[in-house]
Amino acid sequence: MKNLWKYARMNKHDLIFLVIVCIMTVLLYGGLALFRMRDAGGDKVAVVRYRNEEVMRLDLTKDGVYTFEATLGTVTIEVQDGAVRVEKETSPYHYCSLRGWVKQTADPIVCLPNELVITIEGADEGNDINLR
Amino acid sequence: MKTTRTKKMVTEALLLGAAILFQMIEPALPVAVPGVKLGLANIIGLIALFMYDWKSMLKINLMRVLLASLLRGTFLGTAFWLSLSGVLLSSCAVILLRKFSKLSVIGLSMASSVFHCLGQILAVSVIYENSYLISYLPMMWLLSIPTGILTGILARLTFTRIRKGGIEHDIQL
Repeated sequence: MKNLWKYARMNKHDLIFLVIVCIMTVLLYGGLALFRMRDAGGDKVAVVRYRNEEVMRLDLTKDGVYTFEATLGTVTIEVQDGAVRVEKETSPYHYCSLRGWVKQTADPIVCLPNELVITIEGADEGNDINLR
Repeated sequence: MKTTRTKKMVTEALLLGAAILFQMIEPALPVAVPGVKLGLANIIGLIALFMYDWKSMLKINLMRVLLASLLRGTFLGTAFWLSLSGVLLSSCAVILLRKFSKLSVIGLSMASSVFHCLGQILAVSVIYENSYLISYLPMMWLLSIPTGILTGILARLTFTRIRKGGIEHDIQL
């Protein structure tokens, strides 16, 4: 068992690579945090997409519980206090229900086994004036 | 000359078999953090790279993803495309890093794991047309460091045993 450490030896280049990855992770996380801070208020909707097709558009200002039949079974989506979560779903690891409450545009909920993605978007999107 | 070619082919087939097996049983293995995979199948790719060349590695990795998805019944599904893009990007990255840098097996294993995550995220962003999915990436990268180191150690242990087992190859760690 003591010998096992011998196999864990890293050279200088490995350590440099490790530091680079750590820095990139921190930068990415910081960038996303900044992006979240800039996230403007206003009314938002949760857009539920199944197999890349929009199936539901939930107003986050109205509380409620919604269900949807996805690939592996019924997915229960709950909206409360301007946040949305997947309350119940059938999947091997339950990533999307573990994700918990989400209220910002930068945080999508993804459930790959159920082929379901929930994203948060501004309610007036599409009515924006586009200058081209 | 002919025997060595046959031997190489058979060894590659054995490695491919082991890789498919790892890929298939991996989701069943318990891991401390939910959703984290060790990437055991990746060890086989590294072994192929060190035993033969980059062509063997690419061949084994691509065949592994293809055959495992056929066996699981996820062929051409979302999971298949994620797996394929992850493995393509990570294989290319490892091949280039092996050629142009002095990373050891552990470094290559980390790189492989990091680029696998990146490839998956890129693929899922394209499939779902949503660039915010990148918010999963910092967490994945953070976790890919320990798993990369762990699989690197396992690959190194395997090399030592292969060498003792008498397969005459010039494996440099």
